[in-house]
Amino acid sequence: MAATGQTIAAAPPQEGLRSKLRSASTGFWFMSPALLLVIVFFFIPSIIIFGLSLTNLSTATGFQNWDWIGFKNYEKIFNHPSTKTIAQATIIYVVATLTLFNVGMALLVALLSTHIPKRAGFVFRTLWLLPRITPSVVYIMMWKFMSAAEPYGILNRYLPFLFDGKNLLPNSPWVFVILTNGFVGASFGMILFASAIESIPKDYMMAAMVDGCNIWHRIRYVILPALRWPLLFVTTYQTLSLLTSFEQILLLTDGEFGTEVWSLWAYHRALNNYWGNFQWGFGAALAVIMVVIGVVAAVAYMRFFQFDELVQEPRIEAL
Amino acid sequence: MSQRKWWTVVAVMVVMSLLFTACGNDKDKEEPTEAAGPAKVEEPKIEKITLKVWAQANEVEHWRADGPAQAAADVTDFDITVEPGNDDAGWGDYKKKVTLAADAGEGPAIAVSGHEDVPVWGNAGYIVDFEFCRNKYPEFDDVIPGLWDSVTWQGKLWGVPQDTEARPMYFNKTKLKELGWSDADIAALPDKIKNGEFTLDDLIATAKEAVEKGVVEPGYGYWHRPSKGGDYVQYYFSYGGRLYDPDQDKLVLDKGALLDWYKFQRRLVDEGITPENYIGTEWSIWHDTVSHGNALFWNGGVWQWADWAANYVADLGGQDYLFDFIGYALQPSGIAGQPGGTLSHPLVYMIMSEKASGGKTQDAACALLAKTTTAEINTLHAVGSTHLGVVKAQANYPDYAADRLLSETLYMLDYNYYQPNHVQYGPYFDIIWDGMVKAENGDLSPEKAVDEVVKMMEVELEGFVIIED
Repeated sequence: MAATGQTIAAAPPQEGLRSKLRSASTGFWFMSPALLLVIVFFFIPSIIIFGLSLTNLSTATGFQNWDWIGFKNYEKIFNHPSTKTIAQATIIYVVATLTLFNVGMALLVALLSTHIPKRAGFVFRTLWLLPRITPSVVYIMMWKFMSAAEPYGILNRYLPFLFDGKNLLPNSPWVFVILTNGFVGASFGMILFASAIESIPKDYMMAAMVDGCNIWHRIRYVILPALRWPLLFVTTYQTLSLLTSFEQILLLTDGEFGTEVWSLWAYHRALNNYWGNFQWGFGAALAVIMVVIGVVAAVAYMRFFQFDELVQEPRIEAL
Repeated sequence: MSQRKWWTVVAVMVVMSLLFTACGNDKDKEEPTEAAGPAKVEEPKIEKITLKVWAQANEVEHWRADGPAQAAADVTDFDITVEPGNDDAGWGDYKKKVTLAADAGEGPAIAVSGHEDVPVWGNAGYIVDFEFCRNKYPEFDDVIPGLWDSVTWQGKLWGVPQDTEARPMYFNKTKLKELGWSDADIAALPDKIKNGEFTLDDLIATAKEAVEKGVVEPGYGYWHRPSKGGDYVQYYFSYGGRLYDPDQDKLVLDKGALLDWYKFQRRLVDEGITPENYIGTEWSIWHDTVSHGNALFWNGGVWQWADWAANYVADLGGQDYLFDFIGYALQPSGIAGQPGGTLSHPLVYMIMSEKASGGKTQDAACALLAKTTTAEINTLHAVGSTHLGVVKAQANYPDYAADRLLSETLYMLDYNYYQPNHVQYGPYFDIIWDGMVKAENGDLSPEKAVDEVVKMMEVELEGFVIIED
C-alpha cells in the first residue's frame, strides 16, 4: 500500500515531465528538417574543414602523403604580410557594399517604389532585378567594357570630358567592385523591404497623416520601426553573404589591385591558382577563420537588434 | 529419411557433380589429347582497352587529346580506344578537375598539363615515372633532346613533351619604317637581339621615340602580356635572375634581378610607352590592338598567331596580312652583350598511376604515347595551333616546314629556358607576380615591392627558397 501511495504521490510530476517532453519533442520534429540541413551542411563541413586546417594537405602531398602540422597554418596566417591588407580589403568590401547598396540602396528603392503609383513602382523594382538575373560572366564583361581604356571603353569613349582615356578599373577598383556587387545585392533587400512596407496597415499611415506627420516623420516613426525584422534579416544575411562571396571580384579583377578579399584568398589558395599546387590545408585554415568571424557577426547582430524581443511569443496568446 | 534430408542430399550431389564437371573441362582445355587432332595455333590475344585522355585546350588546340585518339589506330600491341576529353574551362579549373579525379581514383589514363605539374603530381603519386616507357619504343628517340629537361624531376623522366613554344618579342615593321629605320635595320633586329646588341633599354628608347614622334599613340610603344602568366619571368631571366638551384632542389630569388625587373616594369609606364593601369586589360582588346598594328613592340606567344589570323584579321588577309607588318625576335636581354632568350612552357603527356586512374593501363598508355609522339600526329597540333614541334623529324616534315612562322621561330628553342619543376613554384610565382603588379601600377616603389616579396617568401616558402642579394 505504501508503495502504491508513493506511486500516486509521484504521478503528477512525472506526467508534467512527460507532457513537457512531448511538447518539446513536437517542437523538435518541426525543427528537425532545418536542424538536419544545418548539421549536414554546416556543422559537419565545419568540423571537416577544421580538421583539414591542421594538416599540410595540398596537391603536392596528395591524399596519401600529408601530415598533421598542428596550428602551423594559423601561425602562417597571423604572420603573413598580406593578412592585414586582405582583412582591411574585406572590411571595406563588406561594409561599403552593405551600407551603400544591400541595405541603403535597397531601402531607398523600396521606399521610393512604394510611394509612387503601384505599376510604376513594380516596373522600377523589376529594373533593379536585371543585374541579378543577368549571367555573372556577361554582367562583368559589360562592366569591363564600360571601364576599359579608349577607344574600347564606353565611359572613356562617350564621356571624354569626365575621364582621361585610361583603363578605369585598376585606378578605382573599389568603385567597380562595390558597384558590381551592390547592383546585384540591392534587389534582395529591396524586395523584402518593399513587401514589408506594403504590409503596414494603412490605418497607421492615415493616423500619422492626421496627426500631421510629413513623409520623413512617417518613415522615421512608422515605417522604419515596422522594418526592424527585415532590416535585421537583410543586414545579417547580407553581411554573411558578402563575407563569403567573391564571384564578381573573381571575374572583375581576380583579386588584383588590392581587391583580394578573405574568401577569394581562401579560394585561390585552396582551389584555384595559376600554376596549380592547391594548398587545401592552408585554404581550410583561412576558411575556418571566416566561419568564426561569421558566427561572431551573426551573434553580435542578434544582440544588437534584440532578436529575443522580435521573436517572443505574442502576449495575447500567452494570456 | 525425411523429405528435407532427401533434398539436402540431392542438392549436395548436384553441387559436387557441377564442380567435377567444371574441373574436367579445365583439364581438357589445358591438355588437349592427340586424339582430338592437332591443336589450332591461336594468334596472341590483343588486349582491348579504353583509355581516357584529358587536356586543357581551346578549339584550335583540340589535337592535344584528339591526337592520341587518332594515333590509337597505329598501336599494334594493344587494341586501344581513346576517349578524348578537351576542356576549355581555364587552367586552374582543369588542374583542379584532374587532381580531384586522381585523388578519387577516377582520373584519366593520360593527362596533358604544363611541365610544372610534374613535381606536384609526381609527389602526390598521381603520375608514374616515365623511365619504364622511354626506352620501350624508338619513337621517343626523336624527341628534341632539350625538351626532356622540362619533364625531368629528381633525376627521372615523368612524361613526354606534347608541345612547346616560343614567346617572341613582336615588332611592327611598318611603324619602325615610319620611325626612320631602313629595311636592312629592321631585318637585322632579330640577330641584334640574339647577339645582345639590342637590349630592353634600347626597346624603351625606341618605343619612347616612336611615341614622341607620333608614330604610335602614347602608351602604345610596348605592350606586354596584360594578365598573369609565365611570360613575365622572361624579364627576370633577362636581368640575370635564376629560379632554381638543382643541387639543393630549392627555388631561388635573386633580389638584384627582381629589382631590375620591377624597375623595368615601372619605367614602361613612367616613359609613357605602356598605358597606366594597363594590367587587367581585356584579352580581346589586347589581341585586337596588336593584330591591327597599333603597338610598336609587344610580347606574346607563337600560338597567338593562329588566333589573330583566324579571329581578328581574317577579313584583312589573315596570316598574309600579319606577315606584311609583323616581325619577331627573341625577348631582348636586359644586359648588354647577353643574348636574348625566350621562355618555353612545354605541355607534357603524363601517364597516371593505377591509384589515380583506377586501372592498370600504364603499358597501353605508353604504347599510345609512342604513336602520338610522331611528326605526323604532332604536326596536326603544331600547325593547327601554331605551337612548335617536339620531334626532330618535324623540321623536314612537309606540313610543318611549309608553316613560315613555325619554321622561322624554331631557332628560338636554342635560346629557351623553362620554369622550374618544383612543388612550391605555384606559390612562388604568385608572390613575384603580386609584387610586379604593385610595382608597375605604382602602388609600391620597386624597392618596396621587392622587400614585400622577400617577406612573403620567408613566411610562405620557408625552407623552400634561397634568397640571394
